Amino acid sequence: MAVLMLRQSSLAPSRPSPDFRTFGPKDAPIQIYEYTDLACPACRSAEAHLTKSLQLYKGAVRVNFKHYPLSAIHPWSFLAASYADCAGAQGKFTEYAGLLFENQEKWAQAGAKPGEFAAAAVLLKLDIPALEACAADPKTARRVKLDMAEGDLRGVNATPTFFINGKRAVGGAQFLDQVKKFDILLSRIKN
Amino acid sequence: MVIFYLKSCGMNKKIATMDIIGLLARLLAGGVFIYAGFLKAAAPAEEFAYAIETYSVIPAGLSMFAALAVPWIEVYLGVFLAAGVFTRYAALSICAMILAFEGLLLQAIVRKLPVTSCGCFGASMNNSLGYEFSQNLLLLALAAIAWKYGGRISIDSMVESHD
Repeated sequence: MAVLMLRQSSLAPSRPSPDFRTFGPKDAPIQIYEYTDLACPACRSAEAHLTKSLQLYKGAVRVNFKHYPLSAIHPWSFLAASYADCAGAQGKFTEYAGLLFENQEKWAQAGAKPGEFAAAAVLLKLDIPALEACAADPKTARRVKLDMAEGDLRGVNATPTFFINGKRAVGGAQFLDQVKKFDILLSRIKN
Repeated sequence: MVIFYLKSCGMNKKIATMDIIGLLARLLAGGVFIYAGFLKAAAPAEEFAYAIETYSVIPAGLSMFAALAVPWIEVYLGVFLAAGVFTRYAALSICAMILAFEGLLLQAIVRKLPVTSCGCFGASMNNSLGYEFSQNLLLLALAAIAWKYGGRISIDSMVESHD
């Protein structure tokens, strides 16, 4: 009994993400919280599924993107998350994260600070000095750490982990299983 | 206390060194299985199911069923082995499970699958597949020793000596 209760426990509230990494209407009947590591290959494949779901169920789905860098195996993930948030502050979170996902193999296990972070910023015509200052700002790191702490409280151990109206799905395959039930879920909510 | 226990197991004869080794192997192998099973049982089943899916052997639909069942099988087998109940059957079953895990790990290594977490001790452990494969070989050896020598100092022998 104790084990089952432990398994179901989630001590963290569902804190909304900053606006630049929240997609969909606030009152959408399907609320998705996604905990992702920008260096994680499984997260990259799952992102494609998530984007398609957002397009398919436009207006009915809201996605809150949360950072959960697995720094133990991806040494640059935390910094990547900070840079992505700072790109978001300049209105280009989705594009910047997309570029980092695309070039994962180049930067994820780099020996020194990857050049891809600056390269993506140049490609997107971001204000580089502002981006660098923001990435070095303790407030940015704090925001990423808060996401991680929330993930820890919700028992996140692997990425990508999704919470779809509170129901956990780990990995792209489980996420797709949940998406298949969206029509039923939406018709139940309508009725 | 130990002497009383050993005597009640019918251990009036001198304990052989291999009996002690068998007992220790039983406790270690059983303990590891209890620990590994509990970690997976206490975590969300979706995480272990995800680890299973990454091996690309079991269809996705069955992975959740496996994720719910396997941890508890590990815990119960571990308890039986550590306690010395149905010792030989428990040890054999554990050996069979370890061989199955080794098969999964080996095919993942050969196919170069992107398995980031073995899933052996829950999703949070990130040892390499090679490391886990070697670790399991050690566990297999312990379980084999437990099967061969672990029955003498056990609840099984205590029950048998009273029959």
